[in-house]
Amino acid sequence: MNVLSVTPVTHCQVELTVQQKRFQIIGLILTMVYAAAIVWLYATEPRSFEEMATGAQVAAGTYQVDQEKFNAALALFRREQFPAARDEWQRADPAQKDPTTQFYIAYAFYREGWGRVYNDQNLFQQGLEPVNRAIALAPGSLTIPDENLQLHTATELKAELEQGTERNWRDLNPLKVFRTRK
Amino acid sequence: MSKELTIASYKLRNVSLVKYLLLPFIFLSVALLGGLRVNDGNHAFAFMPPPLFTLVLSVLLLLLFVRGGLVELRSLISVENPPLTNIAHVWLLITIFFAGAQAFNSVLPEHGLLHWLFSFFFLWTLWNNQFSSFDARRLLRSLAVLFGTAFVLKYMLLASLYSQDGGWLKRVAGALLSGVTLGTLDAPVFAPATGYISFFTIGLYIAGLVLMGFDHQRAD
Repeated sequence: MNVLSVTPVTHCQVELTVQQKRFQIIGLILTMVYAAAIVWLYATEPRSFEEMATGAQVAAGTYQVDQEKFNAALALFRREQFPAARDEWQRADPAQKDPTTQFYIAYAFYREGWGRVYNDQNLFQQGLEPVNRAIALAPGSLTIPDENLQLHTATELKAELEQGTERNWRDLNPLKVFRTRK
Repeated sequence: MSKELTIASYKLRNVSLVKYLLLPFIFLSVALLGGLRVNDGNHAFAFMPPPLFTLVLSVLLLLLFVRGGLVELRSLISVENPPLTNIAHVWLLITIFFAGAQAFNSVLPEHGLLHWLFSFFFLWTLWNNQFSSFDARRLLRSLAVLFGTAFVLKYMLLASLYSQDGGWLKRVAGALLSGVTLGTLDAPVFAPATGYISFFTIGLYIAGLVLMGFDHQRAD
């Protein structure tokens, strides 16, 4: 067997090994990405294809609040239609990842639950959840520069909601009826 | 000579495509769909991670594959293989393991006495098979029957007993069964889509195993 007859075979063997290696690398990368997507699905547990798409947007960092729905909700909020406003905000931020929207949802609970004689404990309690989410989502201290609101930070709103859920002797103070809604 | 090399090249490409891309993809799809349920009322997805017991069953199944010759562990992972090949084979085994766990998860009732009855039935069968003489073909046939039986019991027999829109006889039988066993046989009701997903999952899993058997024969 001379050198000339051996060379092409060796070259082809090398070529085949390279091809196999290419398949292995491509296969490993593609299937590992697929496996990561499966783990992500089981971790986030989306309930529909829509939630799946929203979750993917959040994971990719391209998630944005629907500004049109947000503005519509704000208009409803200013007209004191709080349940409708909350519904609209929830549609604007389905992934519950926008601190501003979560702040407004909590504020809607506060305003609806506030009463001159007594506060609706249930609504105040429900308001704590979005305000805590807003605090957790905001990178620093969350401040909303809205002139129609009297509480501009999430921590102030949280304190107000927590105070409203507590029961103490001050609740019996008749002068309480003179306080104003914030 | 050139023609032989071309054929060898095609063969290697096809085998590599199946072994490193198609099989992991199939087994990962089984892992994804095995835990997927669709709720009856609102048609919302529910993702059920594999219970601990299905992982144990999957280990037994993997041992059975090695014993039955469907997985040739010595040739798959060897010091003589290039590191990348070993990594790709370990990854394939991981996907087979999770696919097995999720295939069991798919056909096991979610909770209650039936979950444990089915689990015991699987454990008993797999444990007995560890001591039987098997070849790859017989093993595949046995697995197809095992998963097929569990599928029929869960998605056809039990689902029809607990179905809301079944006839009065079905509902009476379901209520009696539930009452006699003090509710321990209660099963969650899922949308019919769950049965279809499970059927597809089990089919895909068996197809993946058959393909693995073919791939193994080609390699021989």
